[in-house]
Amino acid sequence: MIFHVNHKTYEVDLVGHETLLEVLRDKLGLTGTKTSCMESECGACTVMIGGKGILSCITLAANVAGEPITTIEGLADGENLHPVQQAFLDYGAAQCGFCIPGMIMASTALLTQNPHPTREEMEYALDGNICRCTGYLKIFEALREAGDKMSQLKAPRESALYQYIPAVSSTP
Amino acid sequence: MLLNPLTFHAPKTVEEAIELYSTLGEVRLLAGGTFLLNSLKLLKKRGIKTPQHVISLRKISVLQGVKVTGDTLTIGAMTVINDLFSSPHLTDNFAILRTVCRNISTNPIRNMATVGGNLTSRYTWTEMGAPLIALEAVMHFCGTNHTTESITVEDFFKNFAKTEKILTHITIRRDPAAALAYQRVKKLSDVDVPLLAVCIRTHFNDGCFTRTRASINCTTSFAKRDLVLEEFLNGKKTANGIAQEALAHLDTSIYDTRSDDYKKSMFRISIKKAIEDLTRRGQT
Ligand SMILES: Cc1cc2nc3c(=O)[nH]c(=O)nc-3n(C[C@H](O)[C@H](O)[C@H](O)COP(=O)(O)OP(=O)(O)OC[C@H]3O[C@@H](n4cnc5c(N)ncnc54)[C@H](O)[C@@H]3O)c2cc1C
Ligand code: FES
Ligand code: FES
Repeated sequence: MIFHVNHKTYEVDLVGHETLLEVLRDKLGLTGTKTSCMESECGACTVMIGGKGILSCITLAANVAGEPITTIEGLADGENLHPVQQAFLDYGAAQCGFCIPGMIMASTALLTQNPHPTREEMEYALDGNICRCTGYLKIFEALREAGDKMSQLKAPRESALYQYIPAVSSTP
Repeated sequence: MLLNPLTFHAPKTVEEAIELYSTLGEVRLLAGGTFLLNSLKLLKKRGIKTPQHVISLRKISVLQGVKVTGDTLTIGAMTVINDLFSSPHLTDNFAILRTVCRNISTNPIRNMATVGGNLTSRYTWTEMGAPLIALEAVMHFCGTNHTTESITVEDFFKNFAKTEKILTHITIRRDPAAALAYQRVKKLSDVDVPLLAVCIRTHFNDGCFTRTRASINCTTSFAKRDLVLEEFLNGKKTANGIAQEALAHLDTSIYDTRSDDYKKSMFRISIKKAIEDLTRRGQT
């Protein structure tokens, strides 16, 4: 089966029952996506498909073959970190770091669609990503900074990251 | 590996899916996977046999999306919760669905879980049931030999949400005169498990409640209507105090009597708040 991950194409032999998380880590060596609860509760395994954050631990790999998948390894542009990665560094938004790949993927999905989210919109978008270290405050500060940077980018590069996703709205 | 070996099928049309569904033995449908994948993992962990075949509905484009035709809102069974939430078609009585979607689970689950899966996965605590009963929604299924079947959400849950068919879409009639209130209580744990939900739809006629439908979700049984409460409210003036009075007119047999006192009391509080909300709107 063909997988499009981080703008690269991989041909992978699948039996059928592999999760996307297993394929990314064990077959493609993309270990930035973390394995934690493995039952859709923590967000550590978040990747983006078509610009949306999804959980790779409950995604059957065969089901998303051929779709544009972005993992944490696909965010940086060569030596240049993605604005969200850079802001997490600058603001000290990571402690042990285990949740951070998932947190950054969920944040990138949000900011790509809505670079200036309110605090409530941030909390809503990241409500599936659990961090036991940071207390989230630094993460929200990093998001504000990253969003500013991303909205200044005049021509976002053509990538799965910039595909349309529905707006994250505040409480109706 | 987290799952037992299985054969994966990805039909592109409903017809192909039906054909596979009716000919393969030991088969499960895959929509967003939020229920199925977790359940297959759990069964494997417990050493219980899992189905040999999984049929994904992801590539069947007609099952996706939300549209309005005339007075009818159509929600494709494969529409994910977040896409329903952000649909521009959620106006008038449909707007209550935005509140319902907003409160379901976490963002990645809302990006993955489908409306069809929420109704058909046979979890008593999934939440779409109560509001869709209040909205008099209808579910449309496709079965073998191209047979189609339509059934109200209310009747579907009366039959314990059992089906051997493929849900294709859900329809709801527009009703600009309807007023709806929704209240939901969740338990904060690792996962925000919804404990109960109440949805009341009514119309106001001469300052009185009329054509009221009150539906509840209480996690231990499938969503259903409280006919006693409906009967009490219909014809009553939207006066202050009516919400309190209504609490003496509940069909106590349908509420979760095994639950803790706090949950019983949260039900009463939720119903009261929903009626107060409607009363305020009826008075203006
Ligand atoms: C961590 C977590 C938190 C959750 N929190 C909430 C919550 O707060 N509120 C809430 O309401 N729900 C909650 N859920 C439940 C979730 O909404 C359901 O798991 C989800 O809606 C099921 O949809 P799915 O598309 O993922 O179905 P899948 O898991 O893909 O399918 C499950 C089953 O549904 C049936 N099915 C699916 N689609 C069809 C169809 N078109 N026709 C016929 N049968 C079909 C099949 O039997 C299938 O095997 C939560 C789930 C998780 C994992
Ligand atoms: S590992 Fe997927 S949500 Fe925790
Ligand atoms: S930084 Fe340690 S879990 Fe988030």
